[in-house]
Amino acid sequence: MLSIENIEVTYHHTVQALRGLSLEVPKGRIVTLLGTNGAGKTTTLKAASNLLRLENGEVGEGRIRFKGEDTRHIAPDMLVKKGLFHVREGRRIFAEMTVEDNLIAASYALDGRPGLKADFDKVYDFFPQLRERRKQIAGYLSGGEQQMLAFGRAMIAQPEMILMDEPSLGLAPKVVEEIFETIRRLNAEDGTTMLVVEQNAGVAFSVADYGYIMESGQIVMEGDVPTLRNDPDIQSFYLGVGGEGNVRQSFRDVKHYKRRKRWLS
Amino acid sequence: MGQILQFGINGLMSGAIYALIAVGIVSVFKATKVVNFAHGYLIMFGAYFYFTFAVLLPGMSWAPAWYVSWEPAWLVEMKEGLPMFSPLGAVLDWLTNLPRVIIGLIGALAANAVVGLIIERVLMRPLMGQSVFAMIMVTVGLISVMSGGAQLIWTADANYVPSLAPNTPIRFTLFDTQIFLFGTDLVNAVIAVLLFGAIVAMVQFTKGGVAIRATAEDQSTAYSMGISVPRVFARAWVLASLTGAIAGAILATRNGVSPSLGLFGFSVLAIVLMGGLDSYVGVFIAALVVGVLEAMTQWKFGGDWAGIVPYVAVLLVILVRPHGLFGQKEVERI
Repeated sequence: MLSIENIEVTYHHTVQALRGLSLEVPKGRIVTLLGTNGAGKTTTLKAASNLLRLENGEVGEGRIRFKGEDTRHIAPDMLVKKGLFHVREGRRIFAEMTVEDNLIAASYALDGRPGLKADFDKVYDFFPQLRERRKQIAGYLSGGEQQMLAFGRAMIAQPEMILMDEPSLGLAPKVVEEIFETIRRLNAEDGTTMLVVEQNAGVAFSVADYGYIMESGQIVMEGDVPTLRNDPDIQSFYLGVGGEGNVRQSFRDVKHYKRRKRWLS
Repeated sequence: MGQILQFGINGLMSGAIYALIAVGIVSVFKATKVVNFAHGYLIMFGAYFYFTFAVLLPGMSWAPAWYVSWEPAWLVEMKEGLPMFSPLGAVLDWLTNLPRVIIGLIGALAANAVVGLIIERVLMRPLMGQSVFAMIMVTVGLISVMSGGAQLIWTADANYVPSLAPNTPIRFTLFDTQIFLFGTDLVNAVIAVLLFGAIVAMVQFTKGGVAIRATAEDQSTAYSMGISVPRVFARAWVLASLTGAIAGAILATRNGVSPSLGLFGFSVLAIVLMGGLDSYVGVFIAALVVGVLEAMTQWKFGGDWAGIVPYVAVLLVILVRPHGLFGQKEVERI
């Protein structure tokens, strides 16, 4: 559905952020893109949704195709109408508007797509908290509720594919689980294709089918999630398993740690 | 006591006109974050377009008779035998001008919308993505271009235009005081307030308003919702030009048409700062306050002071509240 072929991205004509990155997201699948801070994950998503140009970034070499169509000359708002929705890093909800108005803003994505109507009830059924806070100013929602709202906006737009930028950022483990459960549900029920950018490999692997690992602007490893999960490098760098000194014997210890943290939150 | 009411009402009426001018500045600022220093000159263009369609064109030799002066038989009949300065006479005089007023307004709205679109398309849009400061400087440059342009096209002489409503004197008693108003002033103020209200309601309650507010808050995220940000910008400029055209026509009927009309933009800019650049309510209140202050100063200290005192008040308000009376500071999460 989305294919990125060998793209290079520079900011302000000087800073190179991506160097020959390629990835492929097949229809109906959940693909995750992992990497540390500054690896270029967010840049990759912005390149795909064409928001890059607004920040003085430019795709030099290579090309990006969405549903087989080169996206280079499609304005970001038109790309949304074609079915590619970008949930941005840090949620980026409209803080001064009400929850409902935030959702109405997303319904612009449906303009010019006959037969589609904004389904607010579906969002409120997914996230009952949002229904209660419908008339509240979105800036006063908790972090988790803001992420739900960001997700809700994506649902209103009824995209064929969602780009998710670090949905777990700054959220309690319980809320993260809820958000990833929603990702799974949306993929299973509506067949929405997902590209999920994460730092938290554990949760990302729990929903994804396929994964890419990137480092300083390039893909360094890719594979099916079970394969990646068993890779010793990934275990030590992204899953926090193993490593010198403090060797954990089994996955159960990690699980234990996670459970405790969840209990505290 | 008697006078204070009279001057207060006069002040409210001119405050309403300020509010109508201010709404254009606020709309453009809200959507694009550009403080439009040239808004006064957009208004001046509106006034000149009204002048063109209501005075210049009817003056052409090919203009049809009904356009120049509408005098159906029943109107002429009614006019006959009326005493001088009768209220009915004023209404009938205005009726003869009605085609000119209507065509003048429509022409001013259309032509000014085109001017606004040209400004947005040719000068503002290429600067999108650059710093807002660049666009603000462009509006400063526009001041010279537009005031010079108007003098080239229409010459610098002051001209007079037909008023928007019959100029019947209105007398009534309020709290045992005789109040005296001109019909035009009252109608102008009512038009201004209604337009203001309509625009605020549009921004607050319609889907188009959601797009404007979303763009105001976060342009790139608005894009990622499928909102066409350039279109929102264009709409804001058109909105400013349309309200500017009406405000221009009103100012033209009060003060005559001349390039100095553009100066109104600056005093209104002060009002906008006082109310808070992005707050319609704050700007409305500030406009009325300045209007009343002006009228009161005129009454107590004479016309020379009227131009100064309200703006000293504006300065004081900004010193105490840098965001203006109701300017929105960013919502902090708690």
